[in-house]
Amino acid sequence: MDIDGDIEDASRRVQVRFVTKLKPPFKAPTTSIALPSNLTRMGLSAVVNNLLQSGNDDWKPEPFDFLIDGELVRMSLEDFLLAKGISAEKTLEIEYIKAVAPRKEEDPSLHDDWVSAVDGSNPFIVTGCYDGLGRIWKAAGVCTHVLEGHNGAITSVGVVKSNNNENDTNMVVATGSKDRTVKLWKFDTELQEENLKLSSFRTLRGHTASVQTLASHPNGNMICSGSWDCRINLWQTESNEGDIVSIKKRKKGNKEEESQSEGEAVSTLVGHTQCVSSVVWPEYGTIYSASWDHSIRRWDVETGKDTINMYCGKVVNCIDIGGESSALIAGGCSDPTLRIWDPRKPGTLAPSFQFSSHTSWITACKWHKSSWFHLLSSSYDGKVMLWDLRTAWPLAIIDSHEDKVLCADWWKGDSVVSGGADSKLRISSEISIA
Amino acid sequence: MKKDGRRKVKDEDLKPVEKEDVVNEKDVLTDSEDGSIESPVVSDDDYGSFSEDDDSARNSDSESESASEQSEFSEDENDENPSNEGDLSDGVDDINQEYQSASEDSREVVDESDSSEDEVGPRNTIGDVPLEWYKEEEHIGYDVAGKKIKKKERQDKLDSFLARTDDSNSWRKITDEIEDEDVELTKEETKLIRRLLKGHAPHADFDPHAVRPYVDWFAWDGAKHPLSNAPEPKRRFIPSKWESKKVVKYIRAIRKGLITFDKPKEQPRFYNLWGDETSSNEKGHGLSYIPAPKPKLPGHEESYNPSLEYIPTQEEISAYQLMFEEDRPKFIPKRFTSLRGVPAYEKSVRETFDRCLDLYLCPRARKKRINIDPESLKPKLPSRKDLKPYPTTCYLEYKGHNGPVSSICTDPSGQHIASGEPVKHVAWNPLPELPILAVSMGQDVFLLDTGLEKEEQKMISDLLQVETSTTPDESESAVSVSWSQYDKYEGIRIKHFKKLTQRLPFKLHGLPVSSTFHPTRSIFFVSTKKNVRVYDLVKKKFIKKLEAGVREISSISIHPGGDNVIVGSKDGKLCWFDMDLSSKPYKILKSHPKDITNVAFHRNYPLFASCSDDCTAYIFHGMVYSDLNQNPLIVPLEILHGHTTTNGRGVLDCKFHPRQPWLFTAGADSVIKLFCH
Repeated sequence: MDIDGDIEDASRRVQVRFVTKLKPPFKAPTTSIALPSNLTRMGLSAVVNNLLQSGNDDWKPEPFDFLIDGELVRMSLEDFLLAKGISAEKTLEIEYIKAVAPRKEEDPSLHDDWVSAVDGSNPFIVTGCYDGLGRIWKAAGVCTHVLEGHNGAITSVGVVKSNNNENDTNMVVATGSKDRTVKLWKFDTELQEENLKLSSFRTLRGHTASVQTLASHPNGNMICSGSWDCRINLWQTESNEGDIVSIKKRKKGNKEEESQSEGEAVSTLVGHTQCVSSVVWPEYGTIYSASWDHSIRRWDVETGKDTINMYCGKVVNCIDIGGESSALIAGGCSDPTLRIWDPRKPGTLAPSFQFSSHTSWITACKWHKSSWFHLLSSSYDGKVMLWDLRTAWPLAIIDSHEDKVLCADWWKGDSVVSGGADSKLRISSEISIA
Repeated sequence: MKKDGRRKVKDEDLKPVEKEDVVNEKDVLTDSEDGSIESPVVSDDDYGSFSEDDDSARNSDSESESASEQSEFSEDENDENPSNEGDLSDGVDDINQEYQSASEDSREVVDESDSSEDEVGPRNTIGDVPLEWYKEEEHIGYDVAGKKIKKKERQDKLDSFLARTDDSNSWRKITDEIEDEDVELTKEETKLIRRLLKGHAPHADFDPHAVRPYVDWFAWDGAKHPLSNAPEPKRRFIPSKWESKKVVKYIRAIRKGLITFDKPKEQPRFYNLWGDETSSNEKGHGLSYIPAPKPKLPGHEESYNPSLEYIPTQEEISAYQLMFEEDRPKFIPKRFTSLRGVPAYEKSVRETFDRCLDLYLCPRARKKRINIDPESLKPKLPSRKDLKPYPTTCYLEYKGHNGPVSSICTDPSGQHIASGEPVKHVAWNPLPELPILAVSMGQDVFLLDTGLEKEEQKMISDLLQVETSTTPDESESAVSVSWSQYDKYEGIRIKHFKKLTQRLPFKLHGLPVSSTFHPTRSIFFVSTKKNVRVYDLVKKKFIKKLEAGVREISSISIHPGGDNVIVGSKDGKLCWFDMDLSSKPYKILKSHPKDITNVAFHRNYPLFASCSDDCTAYIFHGMVYSDLNQNPLIVPLEILHGHTTTNGRGVLDCKFHPRQPWLFTAGADSVIKLFCH
C-alpha cells in the first residue's frame, strides 16, 4: 500500500482488515493490511478512501467512521487498543460506516418570534412559534400552511397520525399553547399553496395553566398533553358526538364555513407535583412523562397509575423513548448533561450513559427513528449535537443558531430541524445514518 | 588456726572421694594422730551459712565432749574404731555435702598455693575457674602447650571401694581434681597434715612453747592509757549455753522447713551494651528529665592549627559578614602557629552574660502546655455535599434590560419572573389564583394583572375595584388604617412606604426601609435603618423590636416557618433573628465586604441567600428544626459570582425560585442570572 511507504517506524504496526455493511460502491477489499498504529480516525478514513479509489477510479472521498468491537474510534489506534486492552497481535477487524455529520445546511426558515416547537416525523415540518402561529413547512423556506388561532405562544406541536386511510392526504396536527388550550388542525398535504391560513377544527380546554408539551397516541385517536398545572390530560382527537359534549358553532366572521368543536379531557393523570415538561407516547398503553418535580414517570393509560417513578434529582426538561428495542429513556435535565436511562435495569436509577458536552440546559433530545444508537440534543448554548451511544464524544455539532435552541427533531431520517430564540428554523441535511 | 588446718584437709580429700572414704580417711587421720577426734565436718563453720553454723555448733555442743572423752581412751587404738567416728560425722555430712561443691574453688586455691609451691608448676593452665565448667567436657583443661588434658577414666564406686580395701595404702591416696591424677601422700606429708589438723605448727621442729626471752614490742613509755594487763576472763573460753540453745532452735526450724533460704540471685546473663543510657537514667528522676543535646564533637577545623583547606578565604569571610547573624557559621577556623598564640575566647563575656540571662529567665516550674489543634475548635459543620441541592452554577441569563435591574420576582408557580428596571419594587401575589403583580414606582403602587382570561379578568377587576376602595394594597390614597382589616389580601405586598408611614397607626422611629408579612399570621415586620419593628395587624399593636445592632438595615426576609428573620445590612452583615429566642440576633454573618442589597429565604428548601454590591451572592443552608430546643443550623454553602459591577453597584436583588433550589439574581449590569443546582 502506498500509505505504508511514508511510515518509518515499522515496529508499531497493526494488522487490520476493513469490513462494512455498506452497499457495494462502499465495499473495500477485505484483505488484511498493516497500518501504523498512530493512525487516527482521519488516517483510517484516508486509507479506506484510498482502498476504494484503487478499485473505483471516479471515487469521491467520503468521511468514514470506524468501529472496533462496537466502539467508535475517537483516538489513535494505539491508544484505543491500549485503552480497551485489545491485543495488537492478531488481525484487527475494523468496521467502517459513513460518518454521521450534516453535509449541507439549508437556508433558514424565518419566523416572527421564537420557534418553540418543531415536529419532523412526517415529510413536512410543523413548527410552533411564540407569536401564536403554527406553521407547516414543506421544505426549507417553503411554508405551506399557517395555523392561526391561539391567543398565546405555542409551546408544543405534534402530528397526530391518521392511518385509517392510506389515500387520505389529510393530516391532523395538534398544538399546545400558553393560552391553556390544545388545538387540532386538519390540512391537506397535497395542497400546494403558500401560507394558506388555517383555523383549528377542534379546541381542547381543560388545563388551568399553560400547556407545555403534547404527544399523540401511536394510532392517532388520542393525544395527551402536559401542563404547568402539573397534570397530564388525555384527549380524544375525533369528536364523537355521542360520547363527549361538543359545541358546534359557526364562525360568523370567517368566510369559510368551518365547524369548530370543543373537547374535554377524557382522563387526567395526576401525580406530578410540578410542571409537566415533556410527555412521550411510544406505545399504545404507556405514556412517559417528565416533570420539574425531578421525576420521570411511566403511566399505564388504562388504569391511570404510574408504574415507574424515577427520581433524577434535577428538573427534567425533555425526554424521549427509543434506542435499543425502544426502551431507553433519554432525558435532558437542568444541567448540561444528556442522560440515558435503561428502565429495564433493576435496582438502579443511575443513568447508563451520560453525555456532557453542552454548556447549558438541554431543551430537546430525540432518538433517531431507525437507528438504535443515534440521538440528537439541543441546548440553550445554541448548539445541536448528534450523539452515538458507542462513543462519549458528539458525532457532530451543529452550531448554526445564534441564540438558544429551543427545539429540535429529526426529519426524513437524514436531516435535523431545529428552532431557536433567533426566530429561525434551521435544517441540516444529508446526514447518512445507516 | 585449728579451723584452717582442718578445713584444708577436708577440702582435699572429702570432696572428691566418696563419703565413706571421707569418713575413713578422717578416722584414720584422727586415729593415727591422737589429738581430738572432733569431726572435721562438725567444726567446719565458715561456710557462711546458718546451717553450717548450727551443725557445727550442735555437733560441737553434743559431740565435742564425748569426742574429747573418746580421744582420751582411744589414743592408742589404731584403726580400730572407724565406725564410731563414722557415726558421728554421718548425720552432719548429709547437710554438708551440697555446700562442699560451692566452696570448692576457694579451697583449691589454698591447696595449690600450699602444696605445690616448690614443685614443678601445675600442668593444667585453666587457672582459677570452677571445675564445674568442665563437667560435661571430655577434657579437664589445657596444658602449657595449649593441648587439652583428657580426663581419666573414672572408676565407679564399687571398683574404687574394692581397690581401696585391697590396697592397704589406699587411705594415702587422694585425687587431684585439677590435674586429674591420684596422689599418694608420703609419710611426711601425712604427718604435716595431722599437725595442721591439730592446729600445731606445721613443722615438727617448731616449738611454740619454747621459752624465749620476752620481747616487749609495745612501747609503754608515755602511753596515757596503758593496755590492760588483766587476764582473759573465763567466759571467753566457755561455749555459750544460750547460743547453743538458739542454734538448736534454728536447726529444728530448718529441718521442719520453717526457715527457707533465699535462692542465690540470678544475674542477668546479658545486658544491652548499646542501650540508651538516658532512658535508663530517666526512670530514676522524679521530674521528667530532658537530656541536653549532645554537642558535636570537635572536628579538625576546630584545631588551633587546622589544615589549610579548612581556612576560609578572604571572600568567604567577607561573605559571612553579609549574612544574617543566624545563618553565619558559628565557628570560623583560624590558624595559629602554636597553641601559645591562641588568644582568649573573645565571646566569653558575652556568652557568660547570655548564660546568666538564660538562668535568670529560665522557667523554674514545668509548664503544662495544652496542645490543641485549632481546627478542632471549629464547629463541626456538615459537609456541603450532604446539603445538596443548592444553586451553584449559572446556566441561564436573561438579557433585555438596559439599565440596572432593581427588583425581580417569580410568579408562585415558578413559570414566569417579573423584573423591574426603573421601578422600585415588583411583587407577585403569592396566591396562584390571582396572578396580580404589584409594582411600586415613584410615589405610586400599580397593580397589574397577568395572564388572565377574560372572564377571570373581569372577576379580578371587580375584586380589584373592591380593593381600590378599601384595601391598602391599592395605592397610598386608599391606604389608611383600614388595611389591617383586609390583610387577607396581604399577598399583595406593600412596597412603597414614603407616604404610607405617616398614616400607619404605629409610630415609627425613623424611615422604613423594608417590610414583610408573616407567612401565616397577621404579623407585619417593618425595618427602619436601625431596627426591625414587629406589629400585630389584628390587635393593631406593637409586639416587639428586633435590635440588629448594625449600621444600616437594607433588607429583611422571613423564614417560611415564621419564627426566624434574616436582616441584611449595609455594612455587609447578615443577622439571623430567632423570634422566640431574643430580640438580639442569634447569629451575625459577616460575609460581604460591601452593602447587602437583599436577602431571601427559600420557600421549601432550607436555603437562604444574600446578595451584595460586591457582585456576589452567598447561599447559606439555614435549617430550622421543629424541635424548639435545637438551634437553627447555618452553613455557608456557595458564593455565586458572575455579575459585573456597574456604577459601584453589584447585585441588586435576589429571589429564589418558589419550587426549585434555584436563585435568580438581578444585577446592576442589566442582566438577570439564574443559578441552578
